[in-house]
Amino acid sequence: MVALELVGVSKRYGQRYALRDIDLALAEGSALGLLGPNGAGKTSALRMLLGFTRPSAGTVRLQGLSPRDPASRVGIAYLPERLTLPSRMTVRSFLRHHAVLAGLNGAERDSDVEAVLEQTGLSARAHDRIGSLSKGLTQRVGFAQAFLAKPKLLILDEPTSGLDPIGVRDARDWILEARERGCSVLVSSHLLSEVERTCDQIAIIDEGTLAAKGALDEIVEAGETLEDAFVRLVGK
Amino acid sequence: MRPATTKIFSELAGEAFRDAMRRRIVPIIAVFALLSLLAVDSCTSCSGSGQVSQNGVAVSTDEISGWTGMLIFTVLSLWTMVLAGLLASDHLAETVFDGSANLILARPVRRSEFALARLAGALGIAYVTGAVVLTASAYLLHFRNGVSLGAAIWAGLACAAGALVVAALAMALSLHLARVATAMSVLFCVGAITFVNVFTLFGASLGRIGYIVQYFTPPLCTAVVVALKPWIAPVTPAVDPTIMALKLAFWVVASVLILLAAFRKQELGT
Repeated sequence: MVALELVGVSKRYGQRYALRDIDLALAEGSALGLLGPNGAGKTSALRMLLGFTRPSAGTVRLQGLSPRDPASRVGIAYLPERLTLPSRMTVRSFLRHHAVLAGLNGAERDSDVEAVLEQTGLSARAHDRIGSLSKGLTQRVGFAQAFLAKPKLLILDEPTSGLDPIGVRDARDWILEARERGCSVLVSSHLLSEVERTCDQIAIIDEGTLAAKGALDEIVEAGETLEDAFVRLVGK
Repeated sequence: MRPATTKIFSELAGEAFRDAMRRRIVPIIAVFALLSLLAVDSCTSCSGSGQVSQNGVAVSTDEISGWTGMLIFTVLSLWTMVLAGLLASDHLAETVFDGSANLILARPVRRSEFALARLAGALGIAYVTGAVVLTASAYLLHFRNGVSLGAAIWAGLACAAGALVVAALAMALSLHLARVATAMSVLFCVGAITFVNVFTLFGASLGRIGYIVQYFTPPLCTAVVVALKPWIAPVTPAVDPTIMALKLAFWVVASVLILLAAFRKQELGT
């Protein structure tokens, strides 16, 4: 079963292509790292997967459905690169709000909120307003909302941005924990080492086109690091 | 499984209302509402005896009370509509452009549910304010000036419908214009429509542009004045109340559909 797929997808803004003829799929339970230089089109791909923008050509499927269908987003969690959270809400009330939208109610909602607060190390800050938190803690709140209701598919855009080294390690552990319980993961990142440790599949996008895709050992040649392979494929 | 639409909508609308309540403009609105009530109290507290005549013809005090009441009620209704438009002018757009809508719309939430919830949040503040100011004014006018409460109820409903139209159109416009430009558009459009409505209601002709504004824009002022017709009898505004009500109903539906279509087409950034 495929968690998400893009078939022949292009996205054009005026004359400029953000993505051109992309084919990509993520099998259930797998983790795909989306790599590419700045402006390569990684975020455009994620936006189309979530139905935020429409492709100029091609087909996008999320859990077998069109991303415009809200049912396609049941059991999906998303962490955007530019995380803007309501600064006046407390951490707990924000998570409760998202828990309801994710389909949790009553005691189940409350226990899940407490669980993700505990998991992300935010229990002591649960009553704080989000606006009073540091960038790293705000990113943890972003992770906490993503882990609500035990998602089947995590879509993470530069998830470790703003985190200190301990936060980066924690984030990696959380992603691996999610994978262990069968969650599919799509990560867009600049940090090759993080992708290497958390993903089994890699896709490299450069200037809107797919430069490479496949298992890590198919892309990285003998004697190469992922960074070497990335530079070779992107050609910079 | 996707949560029920009612559950999603009530959760989003509740949060949109709380979000609107947290805005800095709310205390200013409260002060304006209080000042409005003090002004209404002052305007309706005249008593005593005497006779008013116009061109040598005696004018009954009931007639003066009716016209005063209509003027007060119409101004407050238009104030409520403008307030709804101003509150709506960034209540959806801000979440779109700062990216906070993305987290919500990545959940199994329809765009229409989100847009309508934001509209409800902005309208909630305007409706609470309008209800307080208009109800208090209606009671003061009823007990002091003797005008009928029934007409005030119809005018209040017309005001609520007008506020919804203004807010929905402002919200749709705000997806394409900056906040200040949207707010200025609200002020200009409500002002222009009111100007034309008032003159046309009492038989004046404002040429081709006036005709277009009168017949092809929402009857914001007309609807309220026509509802208050009993207060100014025997003068009768030159508008059929049924056609006016149908026109307002059309605009309520059309404005919401315009908002939903505009938000559906909107590309969301991150």
